[in-house]
Amino acid sequence: MKSYLAVLRGSFMVGLVYRFGFLFSIAGNIIYMSITYFLWRSIYQNRETLRGLTFDQTYIYVALGSAVFILLKTYVDWQMSYEIREGTVATYLTKPIDLQFYELFMSLGFFLMSLGAITIPTILLLVFVFRIEIPLGLGLAIFPFSLILAYLLSFCFDYFIGLLCFYTESVWGLSITKEILVTVLSGALIPLPFFPDVIHKILLWLPFQAIYYTPLTMVAQPNLGWGTFLPMLAVQLFWVIALFTLTRLFYNQAIKVLRISGG
Amino acid sequence: MSLIHIKDLTKHFKILNRREGLSGAFRDLFSGNYRTVEAVAGVSFDIEAGEIVGYIGPNGAGKSTTIKMMTGILKPTGGMLQVNGLMPYDNRIRQAQIMGVVFGQRTQLWWDLPVIESFKILKEIYKVDQKMFDRHMDMFNELVGLKALYSQQVRTLSLGQRMLCDISASFLHNPQVVFLDEPTIGLDISIKAKIRSVIKELNREHNTTIILTTHDLGDVEALCQRIIIIDKGKILYDGDIKRVNALFGAYRTLKLQIDDFTAATLQTLTGKLTEKFGAEHGISIAETEELWTDVTIDQARTPLSDVLNFVMSNFGVDDVRIVEISMENVVRKVYDGALK
Ligand SMILES: Nc1ncnc2c1ncn2[C@@H]1O[C@H](COP(=O)(O)OP(=O)(O)OP(=O)(O)O)[C@@H](O)[C@H]1O
Ligand SMILES: [Mg+2]
Repeated sequence: MKSYLAVLRGSFMVGLVYRFGFLFSIAGNIIYMSITYFLWRSIYQNRETLRGLTFDQTYIYVALGSAVFILLKTYVDWQMSYEIREGTVATYLTKPIDLQFYELFMSLGFFLMSLGAITIPTILLLVFVFRIEIPLGLGLAIFPFSLILAYLLSFCFDYFIGLLCFYTESVWGLSITKEILVTVLSGALIPLPFFPDVIHKILLWLPFQAIYYTPLTMVAQPNLGWGTFLPMLAVQLFWVIALFTLTRLFYNQAIKVLRISGG
Repeated sequence: MSLIHIKDLTKHFKILNRREGLSGAFRDLFSGNYRTVEAVAGVSFDIEAGEIVGYIGPNGAGKSTTIKMMTGILKPTGGMLQVNGLMPYDNRIRQAQIMGVVFGQRTQLWWDLPVIESFKILKEIYKVDQKMFDRHMDMFNELVGLKALYSQQVRTLSLGQRMLCDISASFLHNPQVVFLDEPTIGLDISIKAKIRSVIKELNREHNTTIILTTHDLGDVEALCQRIIIIDKGKILYDGDIKRVNALFGAYRTLKLQIDDFTAATLQTLTGKLTEKFGAEHGISIAETEELWTDVTIDQARTPLSDVLNFVMSNFGVDDVRIVEISMENVVRKVYDGALK
């Protein structure tokens, strides 16, 4: 475990090295939040609610939604495809480490970076600058846990695509397809209730919704109570364990075909 | 039992026959036209603890492929391979603990971080205790002046500095065997000498087994008692370096840049050399690159200095270089039966 924490520390430091990137992403996020703020302000004008949502509720969903979207991108698939094509994966595989955990902890370093650069500033801006009232409730308290589970799920998807690169050596088509599937089927683009009934029901059985829909629902409707949230968390946890195990099994197959390039 | 035991080891790659051009690339999308490359075609050898073995051969001979199998990152197609009694591929994580690896073309250090951070991360990964870590870091500092580089970002290191750091890093956890795949590639003479002495010291310190590939015969001469020559996936020679030394040690190539070079110059030169040194002079002449004429000399028959003096006094020479015989030439001579 200590070795993976050292990896996490290292990748976090790499993030800090690019401090201009860090500062830019903070600035970019402020600009994004300001634009959407004034946009939605003008849409609301003198109206109290639109489709049953107050301005504050909508704005939280939009601003936090994009922050979560950025946070949950692990880029592990792109990273791994690069490592495979360049052959750097050889330097990991000659170390006494588990590739899945190595990639996970590498990506967690960047997760912490974007947590500090995007998510937390977004919440601070929401509360102190835009004076939005974030509704307090149970959902908000368990949101961080749900977010971590969501991240692990997102990681499993990306790691799976990364392993597919052992076969294909290029990530392009795979990654784009995954991106579209996850974005649509997870409710990141359109909230799930907007899908036709049958599809909605099917989607609730798939792992995608546990990535965005679950954590965002917890902030958007924090007062739904344990009766709703507990099963949601359980489903997330189930998928994390299932996909972690499945990708581990798949690794054992994929590693057989990996050709280390270069030399 | 030997530390590394290899018997009839093979590795085949199936590769797609790619067609030319854009339309070819499109048609390749649906092609099933494969051919098999036998990168390693039945190799056997044993290596004992503490040896430094030079694993040499021309480009594409199968050296890196063998190393990748020994380090457990490539699954052999067939044959037997054991390092310290275990099959590396099937026991990757366990075996990694007793090995160190440097692939000369790429680094195991963290590109964006100061040098010392990579060592700290490796310390945790290999579970090196603080005492051993301090002792080894002091040793690396003595050998390569590592302390001066601690706070420098890896990507700002020169190639030679980076290689010294990479080699040091591969010894940090006191491995039983270290694989060095072209550790001197792209380096100048003085840093090569440095790297050789460091490798020698590190080998001596803990009696670490070292397997080294290189295209520089100077590396092998300086470091190894034993060499294994491989070509086209098969072993051509395995044994004491002394016999081979006599072979490539005797040859030197004199590279000349001759004034007013024309097609006739080569013939004049050949004629004059034969006239001077006789028919059995052991000298061969070829124009290899533009303006450069290569004169390869068997020093057992004609001293290089005599040839050099003669050429200098009879031709206008702009520039001279003396290079050791190339790997390709050594291999050709072995094929020709030079070691029989
Ligand atoms: N991943 C791969 N896919 C297909 N062919 C490969 C692969 N890796 C190596 N080969 C082929 O196997 C042969 C041996 O390659 P290898 O890298 O082992 O050579 P080498 O002895 O290390 O050469 P060099 O001195 O140029 O590094 C070459 O013909 C190479 O083209
Ligand atoms: Mg090679």
